[in-house]
Amino acid sequence: MTTEYIRSVLGIFGKSPFRPLHTHAETSGKAVKKVSEALIAYCDCDYERVNVLVEEVSELEHDADKIKQSIRKSLTGSIMLPVNVNDLLLFLKPQDSIADHAQASAYWLIARQGKIPDEVRESIMELMDLVLATIDAYEILVDALADLLEMSFSKREVEDAMALVIKVGLQEHLADVADSHAKMVIFKHESELGGAGVYHLIELVNKISGIADSADSAADRLRSMLYRR
Amino acid sequence: MIPFDPIIFAVLIAGLYMAWNIGANDLANAMGTSVGSGALNIKQVIILAGTLELLGAVFFGSHVTKTIANGIVPIDTIIQSNPHIVVLGALSAILAAGFWITFATFYHLPVSTTHSIVGAMLGFGLASVTYGFISITSIKWVVLMKIVASWIISPILGGILAFIIFSIIRYFLQRSEFPVKFERTFGYLQIASAGYVAFAHGSNDVGNAVGPLSTALSALNLIDNGQTPTWILIVGGVGIVIGLATWGTRVIKTIGCGITELTPTRGFSAEFATATIVILHSYSSLPISTTHVLVGSVIGVGLAGGLASVDLSMIGKIFVSWVITVPVTALTSAIIFMGLMGAGI
Repeated sequence: MTTEYIRSVLGIFGKSPFRPLHTHAETSGKAVKKVSEALIAYCDCDYERVNVLVEEVSELEHDADKIKQSIRKSLTGSIMLPVNVNDLLLFLKPQDSIADHAQASAYWLIARQGKIPDEVRESIMELMDLVLATIDAYEILVDALADLLEMSFSKREVEDAMALVIKVGLQEHLADVADSHAKMVIFKHESELGGAGVYHLIELVNKISGIADSADSAADRLRSMLYRR
Repeated sequence: MIPFDPIIFAVLIAGLYMAWNIGANDLANAMGTSVGSGALNIKQVIILAGTLELLGAVFFGSHVTKTIANGIVPIDTIIQSNPHIVVLGALSAILAAGFWITFATFYHLPVSTTHSIVGAMLGFGLASVTYGFISITSIKWVVLMKIVASWIISPILGGILAFIIFSIIRYFLQRSEFPVKFERTFGYLQIASAGYVAFAHGSNDVGNAVGPLSTALSALNLIDNGQTPTWILIVGGVGIVIGLATWGTRVIKTIGCGITELTPTRGFSAEFATATIVILHSYSSLPISTTHVLVGSVIGVGLAGGLASVDLSMIGKIFVSWVITVPVTALTSAIIFMGLMGAGI
């Protein structure tokens, strides 16, 4: 195309960061779902499948990283967006750590093998489900960004988005509750699990909860981005 | 009786090349925004733009053509000493502008045909001063200053108007129950605004191609001095339309594919603002760059929060390109003129 005999106004249209932002959130969401599948396989002692899934999480995290870098690269000093560029970058960072935490959880999962008592398994799976629900709520929020752009940030759309931010926060709170419950259950089974087993699971719970925390703080940043425009 | 000068054919051919280039690039750029938003397909754009461009050129193109033909250089004074010199000057100007546009297009520089031809006519005028045909003070500097000022002001006006138009549209868009239907309605309105842009473009840009031809013809008394007969405007308009229909389709496709964020409401705002500002300048006989006004208008829509991303580095590129264009085309035109004089043509 560069060799064509053309003078054009195309240069005035910058590359929109909003579509890749959406893809980035989606990719991170996929990584979290893989973590949940890996956790189920781990509880079933199907370590071969766990390894395959962990590898997939790692690939998704790498994809998300590449998208993040391309977004950063497209936001040069001359780009004008309908939102503050710095706010957008501040929101991209916690969104990116969703995938980072997913990967950290996956790697930590395969660091140690061991049988998990049913009650512990149930409490960790409950936490995982609530983290997934938080991520789902977050993805709906990111979807709403497209409508916001289309409507050029109407009051109504902004209010809708704010309601979604609150929903993410609510889900994250439920995940927090499940986090402390899971830890209680793990300690309850400390003699059965042994010191190393307890440490592995407590740290696993921390890492899984970190996923929801990232989604919550990304939603929070998104709120400031919308308020400050 | 002034003898017939065969060099007039060279001026005509160079003018047609310029017209072709204007149609293939500038008009296609302005029309590409309509294809980008999906309001029209390429065939419809060619027919609509071709028709309205020609109408704009024929019915409204004489003002700017006159400015380029004899608004900058005191042609009458030179004609009195030797009409042949004026024909050579017109040829030098149109060749210099044509060369620069070709070069700029090849290297994808956002150069304006308007700036090129104004610089080239000035170059001929300055060369005439060095030969002593006219005095330096007889060059119409006030007109030139007005033209240069309009180059800065017109994109800003385009931006302000587009900002206002889109803000008004946004007010209704945000209150509409069915935003998708709202956008679709603007798809139809955008067909009208695209036609409006083509008409405005024809009225302002036809002079870039046929201004020098008009100068040469009046020197040979083939047309009344200071007049622009309709047939000249038709020749220029047809040349522009041929450019659009041939190479322009490729340019439209490139632009249309590249612009994905410009929905009908945004496209309409930018186009309506551009056309209005360009028409006002045509009415005031001021030659301006439609492309630069369009860029200003797009920025206006962006400032009103209508676009996902606007790259402001284009402003710097445009500024640099026009600061370079005027001296380069003036110098080239003067060199060609002196060369032709020196060769005894």
